[in-house]
Amino acid sequence: MKLNIDFSRFRKSEILATIMIGFVVIIVLNLFYIQIIRHEYYKKQAYEEQVAKFVLPAKRGQIYARDSGSIVPLVLNQPVYTAYADPQQVGDKTKLISTINRIAGGNVVEGFKDGLDNKQSRYVVLARQLSNAQAEMLKKEDVPGVGMTATDQRVYPEGNLASQLLGYVDNDGTGLYGVEGALNKRLKGVDGKLQAVTDVRRIPLTVSNDDVSIPARDGDNIVLTVDRNIQSYAESALKKGLDNVRASKGSVVVMNPNNGQILAMANYPTYDPSKYNKVTDYGVFQNDIVSAPYEVGSVMKTMTMGVGLDTGAVNTGTTFNNRGYVQVDDRKISNVEEDPVNANATMTDVLHYSLNTGVVFILQQMGGGKVNMAARTKLYDYYHNHFRFGEKTGVEQAGESAGTVIPPTDEQGNNVRYANMAFGQGMDLTMMQTAAAFSSAINGGTYYKPTVVAGTTSNGTNVKGSKVKVLKSGVLSQSTSASLRDLIVKGRQLGALGGKDRAGYVVGGKTGTSQVIDPKTGEYTNANSIGSYLGFGGNQTPQYVIMVQVKDSKAAGYAGTTAAGPIFGDVSNWLLDYMKIAPN
Amino acid sequence: MERINAAKGFVRRHRPDYPMVIFIGLLLLLGLIVLYAISPARTQIINETGASLDQAHFMQRQFLYLVVGISAFIAAANVPLKLWQKYASKILIFSLAACILLAILGMLPGTPLVLCTNDACRWFDFGIINFQPAELVKFGLLIYTAGFLAKRIQQGKLNDLSETLVPIGILVGVSILFIIGLQKDMGTGLALLGIVGSMLYVAGINKRMGAVVLGSMLAAGALFIIIAPHRIARIVTFLGDNADSGGAAYHITQAKIALGTGGLFGLGLGKNVQSFGYLPEAPNDSIFAIMGESFGFIGLIVILVILVSLLLRLLRIMDRIEDVNLRLIVAGAFGWLATHSLLNISAMVGVVPLTGITLPLLSFGGTSLMFIMLALGLVFHISRYTVHGKIRDNNESNENQNSDSGRWLRGPRYTSSGGYQPTRRKSRSIRD
Repeated sequence: MKLNIDFSRFRKSEILATIMIGFVVIIVLNLFYIQIIRHEYYKKQAYEEQVAKFVLPAKRGQIYARDSGSIVPLVLNQPVYTAYADPQQVGDKTKLISTINRIAGGNVVEGFKDGLDNKQSRYVVLARQLSNAQAEMLKKEDVPGVGMTATDQRVYPEGNLASQLLGYVDNDGTGLYGVEGALNKRLKGVDGKLQAVTDVRRIPLTVSNDDVSIPARDGDNIVLTVDRNIQSYAESALKKGLDNVRASKGSVVVMNPNNGQILAMANYPTYDPSKYNKVTDYGVFQNDIVSAPYEVGSVMKTMTMGVGLDTGAVNTGTTFNNRGYVQVDDRKISNVEEDPVNANATMTDVLHYSLNTGVVFILQQMGGGKVNMAARTKLYDYYHNHFRFGEKTGVEQAGESAGTVIPPTDEQGNNVRYANMAFGQGMDLTMMQTAAAFSSAINGGTYYKPTVVAGTTSNGTNVKGSKVKVLKSGVLSQSTSASLRDLIVKGRQLGALGGKDRAGYVVGGKTGTSQVIDPKTGEYTNANSIGSYLGFGGNQTPQYVIMVQVKDSKAAGYAGTTAAGPIFGDVSNWLLDYMKIAPN
Repeated sequence: MERINAAKGFVRRHRPDYPMVIFIGLLLLLGLIVLYAISPARTQIINETGASLDQAHFMQRQFLYLVVGISAFIAAANVPLKLWQKYASKILIFSLAACILLAILGMLPGTPLVLCTNDACRWFDFGIINFQPAELVKFGLLIYTAGFLAKRIQQGKLNDLSETLVPIGILVGVSILFIIGLQKDMGTGLALLGIVGSMLYVAGINKRMGAVVLGSMLAAGALFIIIAPHRIARIVTFLGDNADSGGAAYHITQAKIALGTGGLFGLGLGKNVQSFGYLPEAPNDSIFAIMGESFGFIGLIVILVILVSLLLRLLRIMDRIEDVNLRLIVAGAFGWLATHSLLNISAMVGVVPLTGITLPLLSFGGTSLMFIMLALGLVFHISRYTVHGKIRDNNESNENQNSDSGRWLRGPRYTSSGGYQPTRRKSRSIRD
């Protein structure tokens, strides 16, 4: 069909009007499509384009230590600057290079000169970690194309002090190891959020009702229970002690047995947390006191004695026939050679001479005369349920280990193992578990949760204290605890280390030398044995518990006595003065 | 009392067409209100670059432009029509001379009188006021061509190629060369074609000539597209880079976001976000999109209705003017307003490419407002001389009926008691 419209039938004005209205109809249809049908789409487009989301970074909490009555900062924040250049805007390259080299010195980034030649790039880092003063100088030079960004960096006024206890913060602002790792969330705080409709230059407008503005919640400033001076003394005493016996590695933990507060956690070797990225042996980051369980050895005899007294298997007057060995199933368990054989060995002798036969005797008594399921069950009950071995203590440190205690019902938890466990072999404990359990054994029987956090501070002066937490009461009875204290004190006084204690104070302790299983033979060997010392001091009331561990001692004799013991004595005597403990 | 020599007899001057003024007034008021609303946004963006404009800067300036524009309207409504006709050629020559001067001054580096933006010199800079000669060309061409065509119609030489179309072609060609070629103002160039095209159509050129005109327009357009990159590139070497199509694409995207977020009812006045630097030319070329963001679909329909009503009003007046010259002026004014409005709005919704053209009466801008108001003022003046019924349409098929002209003329107002019979259409159909 031929479309035959005779346009001459219409007036020109009508045709013009028709063309115009035709256009308008097309426009209206398009408007309908854009404004009604695609409304949501364009709203989304507008949202993506117009709404800017800003993060308001929260300030990371600082960390303080106690210093006698007041507090001192161990970890602070400080702005550092990164200098960068936009190669497209750099004019005089040689001048820029000489200026950067002069001001930034050792902070320059290697190879930044090559980066400047790449005109495609808009961002070349020139130098990192510039101080405020350096940044000011650079700003004053006003080199074209050079800019700076500021970030907060952790600084450590006390240098290496307590580095494993503190941990560090990585480049992403995440705390790793130590307190920084364990309390990362609390320290970090919560970033704020600002979501606003902005103009094209990203300046927020006031036209919208949907703007979001959540201020940042800064992280808590944490005050540690650690005393700077005790920590510092413990570290230097450890270092000195290790040097004396040419040992490579060791740790000291000092805590208050009456509330679980840690006064010092010293590890050697150590590192500089401000240069954590220069560390090559990552093992040095770890706080071995909480993370490295080991066979603590004879120091455990103190607690086994406590169990014996508390269960009534023995009392302070009990004697036994020490033949120098004892048969448990198919194993003969011996004392070390020089220990005397005595038909009427006392409980004091057990601790004084560190008689393996003595603690096995206690275990036998708990089983009605022999090591059996009843004895194992009782010992496990005390070890696991009272002393909390095999459980994390909950101290605020990253990477805490729970240790390993094999229950009597396990195939591995046989009589021989339990006989060994009575003197600290055949189970792995951390120093933290050991010291915390020991504290409960000698403080009257209350297991306080070990803690490094004393509270928080908002101004760096006043401390809002946190509560002491009891995890188990009645670990031992009051009287058992008192008797055990006496035995431990006597055990120390009679030994070689006893004479070193200051007169008028009550100091007790126990050595431990654990043989290490040779990874080649699978047998215990005397080489590389680990020396430990676990003890307390104070007046009528124990005021501190110290546990020392020395690895790899080259000194003759038992490492517990020759390597760890002296460090205990050093710290103990110093503490009596420092803590101004009144003598008896 | 002034009298107009109509084709037949005299038409006495009477009340002008006031509805037209109402529509114009509504649009001007709307433009002013929207500029008031977005002025703080625009000034904030400009002030961020270091200027220190008053928050209401755009509204204040527009107010000033309105005063100028309304004065132009009043002047045009009262200056004797003969005066325009007398000076038409001089105005046109002056405007073209101004374009030449602008081009020459623009090529001299560092001339203070010339304002160049987007790599094109379109304005004279007279300190407080800028002046765009292309707008004057439009006006000059409007009154000159109307007179010229009217004369050719009287001579019966309208469809004479050499006597009518070639001179018009040369005139338009030269103007377009200045405006599109040198000032790179595609929008104004198209508006020029719209003005002359509607005048030629209303003048009644025949199909053959119409085809010639359309063909030459298309040829010229193609020529510009083919040759211009070279020529423009050569001229532009003085001035820097050419405007990129990426910019235009961004512009359209932002216009659509503005319209789209407006939805049915709009965000409300003063709730615009796109005016905060996202949408380029928000107060000028993009004002329609901003209105869409503020008032929504409903609001735009209302604005379009007012605009269409005004345009229909112009056609209505055109239909009732016997004097060919005057009728062609109205036709040109219609072409002007329609081309500007439709090109601008169509570009905002993405139907036609962006040409950089203002939305008459609504956009921010001094020169364009002044001249459209001048043209509308002229139409308003002419509306005093309408007759009662529609005059005979000199459509080309009616050529043969010139002899029985008397039948098609309605009696002029106030001059005869002859009964007015709206029977034209019927008789026409009988005739056809």
